[in-house]
Amino acid sequence: MVKLYGFASSTCTRLVALVCKEKDISYELIPVNLAKGEHKHPGFVANQPFGQVPYIDDDGFILYESRAIARYLIKKYPNQGAPLIPSDPKAEALFEQAASIESFNFTAFVAPIVAERVFNPRRGLQPNEERVSELLANLQPKLDAYDLILSKQKYLAGDSVTLADLAHLPYGTAFYGAGFAEVFESRPHLARWWKDISNRPAWLAVKDGA
Amino acid sequence: MALKIHGHANAPLVRLVAEVCREKEVPYELVNVEVYKGEHKTPAFKEFQPFGQVPYINDDGFILYESRAICRYIAKKYASQGTPDLVPREPKAEAIFEQAVSIETSNFYPFALGITAEKIIKKHRGLEPNEARLSDLVSNLKAKLDVYEVILGKQAYLAGDNITLADLFHLPYGTIVFEELGYDMLEDRPNVARWWKDITARPSWLAVKAKA
Repeated sequence: MVKLYGFASSTCTRLVALVCKEKDISYELIPVNLAKGEHKHPGFVANQPFGQVPYIDDDGFILYESRAIARYLIKKYPNQGAPLIPSDPKAEALFEQAASIESFNFTAFVAPIVAERVFNPRRGLQPNEERVSELLANLQPKLDAYDLILSKQKYLAGDSVTLADLAHLPYGTAFYGAGFAEVFESRPHLARWWKDISNRPAWLAVKDGA
Repeated sequence: MALKIHGHANAPLVRLVAEVCREKEVPYELVNVEVYKGEHKTPAFKEFQPFGQVPYINDDGFILYESRAICRYIAKKYASQGTPDLVPREPKAEAIFEQAVSIETSNFYPFALGITAEKIIKKHRGLEPNEARLSDLVSNLKAKLDVYEVILGKQAYLAGDNITLADLFHLPYGTIVFEELGYDMLEDRPNVARWWKDITARPSWLAVKAKA
């Protein structure tokens, strides 16, 4: 059984849990207590030198970075659950294009917005509203491009769902629920895609806790 | 028909794609996009790259954008020529490669890009850098490089003992931060300095720096 070191509400831990559900992979969530600084303890840092969650222990094989873990698990179990990463060279290239779009044209802006508006208040810090405005202003034209892409095809890499779509869910859901729903809903094709992926049974199973 | 890279010779991520083409001995033609005149924001350009960014490639009619996706495509298509194993295939080696790629994406690039934006991009637009933000970005990058120092103390490259795309992805913005902007983050980090010296000495990168 895959040991998933993280915590139930962590965005990146829930991405790994999502992929496990999609691929019917059993996992055990081993909680890491960030409030107690467990992620900075030598025992943890020996496995994840950046002191971040999650990491996995798959029968002694240690791996960190949630997107790397997701790819590893998807490739390890090609014959169960949804395919999620194409193998045809051109389809794979378009998947990599979509995966890159997620990292650099979506999460790069959405994650810091979520950090300001959702995580900071939890830590007793004020959101930096000037920064939120700047990030949102940069995000809006990116989402216009998403709307255009998704007007021509069902998912970001083509007509089948891939890991690239799923990788939007943890931060995207937090963003949507933090008062930014209109940013998605005002773009019809993006909204259609968002409704589709955010209602996948595997996501519904983990969205409130890995 | 030679691979066409659409972009501007000075654009960091255009240079990345050119470097990987050279590593894999793939001839290419750089098709100039007048970014200083906003050509990449025109509807005609956005037909090919809807985000209005460079580069994109045209490989015999196959259009692809996002430089790291392009690099992966070239490395895999031409796996049997040039520098080998830029994307490893054995499952655990591939997983460690993906971990290293993700490290660059999350733990290097946002800070290096942010520093570049404050010091160079804003300057081009006649804006002053946000000094508080710049200071944060620099200290965050240094903290991440402290971890690189640990990783690179155990192995020659980020994904193990052989060079992969994960290392090469650092070249464009690393060059801007460490060389062009002159941030000294390597002197106190000998393993990172060793690795940086190694990857920046590659003939493919030197050729691209001379002329993409």
